[in-house]
Amino acid sequence: MIRVLAILFGTLLTVLTAWALGAILFRKLALKLHRAEERLLSFVVGSALLSAIVFAICAVRVVHRGVFLVIGLAIIGYAVYSGALRASGDSFAPLPRLWLWVFLVAMTAFSYLAFFHAMMPEDSPDGMAYHLGNVLKYQQAHGFFRITDDMYANLSEGVEMLFLYAFDFGRHSAATLVHFTFLVVLALLILSYGRRIGRPAVGVAAAIFTYAAPIVYFDASMAYIDVALAAVLFAGFYLLQIWDENCDPRLFIPIGILAGFAYAVKYTAFLAVPYAIGFIAWKLWRKRQPVLRPVAVVALLAAVFVLPWMVKNWIEVANPISPLANRIFTNPYIHISFEDNWRRYLSMYDLTSRWQIPLQVTVQGDHVEGLLGPLFLLTPLALLALRFRAGRQLLLAAALFASTYFGNIGTRFLIPVVPFVSLALALAVADFPALLLALVAFHAITCWPSVIQLYCAPGAWRLERVSVRTALRLRPEETYLNQNPDYRMARLIDGVVPRADKVFGVSQTGQSYTTRDELVGYESASNEVLQDILWTPVIREFQPTRKLAFQFARHAIRKLRVVQTANAPMDQWSISELRVFDGAMELPRDSAWRLTAHPNPWEVQLAFDNSPVTRWRTWQPAGPGMYVEVDFARMQTVDGVVVETSSDAANTKIIAEGLDANGQWITLSDHPVESVNPIHTSLRRAAAAELKARGIRYVLMKPENPGADDLRRYTEAWGMKVAGVVDAQRLYFIP
Amino acid sequence: MTRVAAAAVVLLALSACERPPEFYPPPEQRHPAEGVNPGPEAMMVEMDSPDANLSIVKDIYPPGGTSWRWTEQDPTVKVLVLSTDKLKLRIDFAIWDDGFKTTGPVELSFFINDKLLDKVRYTTPGVKHYEKPVPADWLMLDREATLSFHVDKLYVSPRDKKRFGVILTRIGLVP
Repeated sequence: MIRVLAILFGTLLTVLTAWALGAILFRKLALKLHRAEERLLSFVVGSALLSAIVFAICAVRVVHRGVFLVIGLAIIGYAVYSGALRASGDSFAPLPRLWLWVFLVAMTAFSYLAFFHAMMPEDSPDGMAYHLGNVLKYQQAHGFFRITDDMYANLSEGVEMLFLYAFDFGRHSAATLVHFTFLVVLALLILSYGRRIGRPAVGVAAAIFTYAAPIVYFDASMAYIDVALAAVLFAGFYLLQIWDENCDPRLFIPIGILAGFAYAVKYTAFLAVPYAIGFIAWKLWRKRQPVLRPVAVVALLAAVFVLPWMVKNWIEVANPISPLANRIFTNPYIHISFEDNWRRYLSMYDLTSRWQIPLQVTVQGDHVEGLLGPLFLLTPLALLALRFRAGRQLLLAAALFASTYFGNIGTRFLIPVVPFVSLALALAVADFPALLLALVAFHAITCWPSVIQLYCAPGAWRLERVSVRTALRLRPEETYLNQNPDYRMARLIDGVVPRADKVFGVSQTGQSYTTRDELVGYESASNEVLQDILWTPVIREFQPTRKLAFQFARHAIRKLRVVQTANAPMDQWSISELRVFDGAMELPRDSAWRLTAHPNPWEVQLAFDNSPVTRWRTWQPAGPGMYVEVDFARMQTVDGVVVETSSDAANTKIIAEGLDANGQWITLSDHPVESVNPIHTSLRRAAAAELKARGIRYVLMKPENPGADDLRRYTEAWGMKVAGVVDAQRLYFIP
Repeated sequence: MTRVAAAAVVLLALSACERPPEFYPPPEQRHPAEGVNPGPEAMMVEMDSPDANLSIVKDIYPPGGTSWRWTEQDPTVKVLVLSTDKLKLRIDFAIWDDGFKTTGPVELSFFINDKLLDKVRYTTPGVKHYEKPVPADWLMLDREATLSFHVDKLYVSPRDKKRFGVILTRIGLVP
């Protein structure tokens, strides 16, 4: 019971603090809104303000329960004292009786699902891994600290700041319930919008279209952020529509806040800023009114919410929009190949054609992580709403916010568009109430979990069942979570791994349930190097089996370069070892030497460490002009260079160049002799030793990870020991 | 105001100046281990081992609660070669008496990495032990080797038409 109270307290404190903050702002601005609008919009705007406050608290590293409690109580207390929580506007006209009952019945039914699922112990893939994984890290460290090995920590985390506030009191489920609150607020905002445009039935229908969409209520009942983003974008749109009606310049403040907060919630919502600015500029320009000042106010306020995330990234990982744009903001923390591969995957998942998307995101849902429900197959009908002014506004916003969708075709990434499409669709058939009612009934029935399973593809990601007993902790939390091997592995790690040690794994796991630092293979450049080391013994193409030997007349040179001359878009270029010879003797690697490379200078030492399991890689397609360079710091006679490389770069071509006494680069040889490079060492032992030298004493392998079978069969040959087993997951220890 | 803004920008820029260098000295040199000796059992696949499935490539039936398993025509396993010196292919198996009555003498062809190592004709049923040195240059250190044998005649169960080769207990490389 105490656990449930803690969850509810964490949620309520966060929600009330956010609401109070927004209400105080709205009261100061004396905005003229309907009562319901004032309450709902003040929560969303207040969430932006609370998120910014928590960001500041993290930045100065004073994240403590007491700090949050004092701030929360002070804000709520002031709001109560000042009367800000008492909405002052008019009420909407009552809903027609039929639509009121439709709304109440549908909302109650789907709220039952979403609320109790949100209350259940959090075990969603991304929620338990990184949304709350990073929240736990900030809580443990009392704020931000420099994270360079987890690209998820580089994404904007506006909603995670709210999660942190709730998490500090009620742990995982409190954070999830905060997300659920955004769903309720979003549905009520949609309803309000319908009432504002004089179409209450449209508001009811669209609210249910959105609320009952399987991916929407499922997402909202986990520690994800997509529904919160949808609420922020819709609230911003709503405020712009109100401003368009009443031209109240005070609305620029909440509009600017929400435009910036949209970016702070998720990068893909950056379009909220140009949308808000463009909307205001266009409307003012058409009215022949001054544009610059209002636009500047909105832009500046948006910047207040955008820039902290950019500056944080700039300071921590030298890239304001990490993990994107790494070709522009070159940095050692994210490899360009990761970004390329990630984009490529997210733009198609494992679909064979984009024509599969409509059916996937509405009915099937197995390849795109969820479904919206078959109703949304009617989305083209929403174009009929173009005959209304509101319809045109809704469809413009929908088109704009959907324009980033093909960057990630997961159904979740359509959630921010769903409210706009729902309203437009309802508006399109608004003149036929019976049809609208039928659509609502059809959607509600087809989106109920037991019905979904009749038509969705097997394995579609969806809410399958809710356990009220588990949600209310009448069944122990541990009992429920123990069904999840990622959770059990997280607990095992906490029990086995010393606090200072790190665990390396190929794929993410339940990081929010362990206080140990887990490095995941794809999540940073340094982790990808660890993964390359781990995979070299088991993937033959990674091994330094090719020797390219340059022989040339003896030259005195100051610098030596091996330069790539081929354009090989499908290959990366790599060098396991670069050895320089003078006669029969390899030149010992002198501490005065200075090594560099282009690209990726930061990993050049991997080509000079005498390890067969490490290699310098371009981590982007090989192209002419790329090089690895040795500056001898003095004139040095050389007559040979040997490059040990792997067979996964077969389409690359290299030459050897030297910088002579005149400061001229001369070609020493452009014809390396290729031969097989025999490997006489145990690559497995070398890999384990290298991981250990890099501070990794524990390796977590899931059965689907490349190399998992090899490690299991030949544990002794790797020089490792099994530290623990959870189902087919194994934790290895490097003694 | 302009000065303050400029100072703020400079301060911001300086705060991002902790960029890693682009020139480095040679790192500490590694000295990889020359050889590993985790024990001869690591190159042997025991049919009663719970991990045996990881090594089996094909034509070996799932275990039936015994220490042996039936094979089909081309039972194949993979093992990691931990040394290449003076290794022998070793197989412990049995030819089933009742099956032998149907098939008569059977010939087994033994392969290492698809190279024929040997052919042996077995004219009696019962427990068999096969062992033969493997040329060192057929194997590569730290790489997996494919070990297989071909049974020329199979016993076909009249009940379910399942095909059976020999009863396999273990197969692998031993020093």
